[in-house]
Amino acid sequence: MAKSQAVAARSRSNWIIHLVLIAASVVMIVPFIWMILTSFKTVTEATQIPVKIFPANPDWSSYAKAFEKSDFGHYYLNTIFAAFMKTLFPVIFSSMAAYAFARIKFPGRTLLFFIIISVMMVPNPVFYTPQYLLMSNWGLVNTVTALWICSLVSPFATFLLRQFFIGISQELEEAAILDGCNPFQTFRYIMLPLVKSALVAIVIIQLLWSWNELQWPLIINSSPDKLTLSSGLSTLVSMFSTNYPILMAGAIMAVIPMIVLFFLFQKRFIEGVAFSAHKG
Amino acid sequence: MAIRKKALMSAMSLTVVSAMALTGCGNNNDNSASGNSASPASSSNSSDTKAADSSKKDVTLTYTIWDQLQQPAMEAIAKEFTAENPNIKVKVEVIPWGDYWTKMSAAAPAGTLPDVFWMHSGQFVKYASGNFLEPITDKVESGEIDMNNYAAGTGSIYVLDGQNYAVPKDFDTIGLAYNKELFDQAGIPYPDDTWDYAKLAEVAKQLSQPDKGIYGFAAKMDTQGGYWNDMLANGGYIVSEDGTKSGYDDPASIEALKARYQMILDGASPTHQQMTDTDSTEMFKSGKLAMIFEGDWRTADIDGSDIIHGKWNWAPLPKGTAKRGNIINGLGNTMSASGKHKDEAWQFLKFLGSKRAAEITAEMGAAIPAYKDTQSAWVKSKPELNLQVFIDQTVDATAYPAGSKAYPVWFPKESEIMAQAWGGNISIEEGAKQVAAMMNQAIADNK
Amino acid sequence: MNSRSRYVWAYVMIAPTLLGTVLFWSWPAVYSIYLSFLKSENFGLINHWVGFANYEKLFHDREFWQNLRNTLYYTVLFVPLTLVFSTFFAVLLNSKIRGLSAYRVIFFLPQVTMPAAAAMVWVVLFARDYGFINYLLGTHVAWISDSRFAMFALVIVGVWGAIGLNMLLILAGLQGIPRSLYEAAELDGAVGFRKFRYITLPLLTPTLFFTTVVLMIGATQIFDSIYLLIGKTNVALPSVRSLVYAYYQNSFVYYDQNYGAAIVDILLVINLILTGIQFAFQKKWVNYD
Repeated sequence: MAKSQAVAARSRSNWIIHLVLIAASVVMIVPFIWMILTSFKTVTEATQIPVKIFPANPDWSSYAKAFEKSDFGHYYLNTIFAAFMKTLFPVIFSSMAAYAFARIKFPGRTLLFFIIISVMMVPNPVFYTPQYLLMSNWGLVNTVTALWICSLVSPFATFLLRQFFIGISQELEEAAILDGCNPFQTFRYIMLPLVKSALVAIVIIQLLWSWNELQWPLIINSSPDKLTLSSGLSTLVSMFSTNYPILMAGAIMAVIPMIVLFFLFQKRFIEGVAFSAHKG
Repeated sequence: MAIRKKALMSAMSLTVVSAMALTGCGNNNDNSASGNSASPASSSNSSDTKAADSSKKDVTLTYTIWDQLQQPAMEAIAKEFTAENPNIKVKVEVIPWGDYWTKMSAAAPAGTLPDVFWMHSGQFVKYASGNFLEPITDKVESGEIDMNNYAAGTGSIYVLDGQNYAVPKDFDTIGLAYNKELFDQAGIPYPDDTWDYAKLAEVAKQLSQPDKGIYGFAAKMDTQGGYWNDMLANGGYIVSEDGTKSGYDDPASIEALKARYQMILDGASPTHQQMTDTDSTEMFKSGKLAMIFEGDWRTADIDGSDIIHGKWNWAPLPKGTAKRGNIINGLGNTMSASGKHKDEAWQFLKFLGSKRAAEITAEMGAAIPAYKDTQSAWVKSKPELNLQVFIDQTVDATAYPAGSKAYPVWFPKESEIMAQAWGGNISIEEGAKQVAAMMNQAIADNK
Repeated sequence: MNSRSRYVWAYVMIAPTLLGTVLFWSWPAVYSIYLSFLKSENFGLINHWVGFANYEKLFHDREFWQNLRNTLYYTVLFVPLTLVFSTFFAVLLNSKIRGLSAYRVIFFLPQVTMPAAAAMVWVVLFARDYGFINYLLGTHVAWISDSRFAMFALVIVGVWGAIGLNMLLILAGLQGIPRSLYEAAELDGAVGFRKFRYITLPLLTPTLFFTTVVLMIGATQIFDSIYLLIGKTNVALPSVRSLVYAYYQNSFVYYDQNYGAAIVDILLVINLILTGIQFAFQKKWVNYD
């Protein structure tokens, strides 16, 4: 009988755990639900006292207004393009550099590596004004190019991938060298495929950071057709102050693509972000 | 080895890609950027010559404004301009007021100001003295444009050291908007030109029903559309006439600020926190406010609300103990000194200053045009509303406190300090004195 | 292949990253320090050397000290709360219950949500009169426009956004603890909280330590949620305004990029200290086995 008591106790405690987790899950998703509900309300319903949870008639017009009054088409294009550039180039450049730093002993290696990773200790806002002045000198202020050009390289990704290359055994590489491969070929055909999971993780975090970044696009670009989704949302707030249905419609349009991607590739997302945080 | 050749190819393509990416920094292909020069003077020379031999080429100008409510009218003007000048297209861009000057100040030193854009009298001196605006003095002297065509002194706002920098666009004054339905329900006659501030406060109290979320007046923390009018009406001032001293610590100004704040304490107005959660004009639009001060430029916005449409009207601002206070401001259209198509930009600027453009502005109810004798068309744009009050009030109005390099510095800080007073963290008197000290410092620093 | 040509390959392969880093990151970091010793006019086109004047002004500026205090206050509220909640949920999820992946996805959702968009919906949730939070709690608190509560509102938004990731990191740490240790402890009669206190916690310290430092560095850079949740004319702004927010205001709204540079350079010093602490203490505190 002792055994069945233990099982009962266990399933009771499981119930409690589930209750706690479900309650917490609700708290986590309430903001998303509220975002959706508010976007379908009229302004009066959204600010009604007492609170009105469901809109009487779902009103789609806020989406139309948000779309019409701000340049969402360009926001999407710019955000996607910048995210693409900020992912592709750092992945190519960082993996090459990381391999060289990890596997080739060359004069100045420690110093050069230190130069690259030392900027990881600097908080991002420190870079903004000088980067803005650089863009200004190059005539790039208020251009789509300015959104991504400073992120062509990623010290963080270099650091992360180097850790990976260090962990790979020597044997494969030695075989390749015996076969007459030069270091680039060894890197491209032997080593790179071995760190595929790390590359995927880096692609995901670069995408996510780039998609969500606010301060830099806010500083560097002003024309509506040069904004990203996040800086476009901030414009929407300036334009519509407290017209919450329109603001929420805009917010939903801004977050939906990333959330859909997340649901499609949830495992990779979670592993990628957790992994990079861990190794960083 | 096959592997070798392929590897070499991809190594080469990588190097090419990276080389392109790096040189791409210097060679910018984006049309909207204006070359490498950050100095307006040097780039203006090169673009002059460029514009001369390309004057008939297809050009797209950027025209940047801050009011999305006026976007349709500005686009209508641009369309008509393009019909007359088929080679020049105009793209109208809106950057909301709250971000406009931050963005412009980032664009100015980078040489990326829009070809043509709205200028505000407060910001004007900083941009003109920095040589970011293209002077139009020679066009005025040659008679291409006549500054006497513009009403209410708007022709003289954008002049610095004898140089003209802008073509007057419109002018604006402040009015008292009221909800007729709430007055009718309470059996109180509508506001008229006999009202003074005491009457305003009294009626606001009578009309308030805080339990229903309805208030008589929005005693909002606002400058041009708010307490600046009160301060002037009470005999105070905002900046001394010679521009050297803040008027916030003048006893008459402080008294006016306190009187406005008192309406919140009396429950005749929503609190500052409530007005942070819900913009006061939004409250008026949803029928929760009986009265509010607003600028004429909000007419279309307010009237566009289904809830209030047909149930509201404008009245003049109440009289104060000293006079009838009102702020008049005139906007101008200016062109960038570092634009790439200055000849075309000038053509457009001239058109913006034409009678035809003024008529479009008026008929679409966008703003009170500055061009003489076109104001009545604006008044008639919404015949059911008493828009005439805005024209009549220009007689007593005081010019916007502009004309210095200090304004752009103190103006954004003003609202941060006054928010402390309006939110109840410091007294009104303390807030006013802090603002005065801050303004005097800014004036001293930005001679 | 001789080592000489291997060197050449190595230099070629690091060249893009090295050049890009120096141009876009290292040089700007140095230049930011240089900027803090200048005073500029006409939107930064004319500059004068003023030595330590910006720092002197900074140290005499009460607002700066308030901003520094706010930043640190946010950090000391945000970091422990995030750790406690993340550890709590990680322990629950580690108890071999069903639906683990569903919970993971839900908790992780805020992590993939644009902070700007999240801040906007929290504005509505926190509103005093028609906000859902007051409606639920039956309170009537101006969460984001009352100086006494605004900081808590920011912390709530921050913790909400951070739990998902940190819970996963801690969960990974927990799963690395060998079961045999618990079994041994159970034989010794250890149960429930004692197991957690004497086995889980010591073995979890490397993860917790690492998480703490990362969270602290992130917390000192808070900007997005202040910019969009609190806003410019909010009476509560002075009680939450962070160093990065003040940097943005001074550099891009008040036209004083040099004063702004001085502010972020202070932030740089704080971050270097945090990183230093990480290196110095990780051997002492952390139980690496």
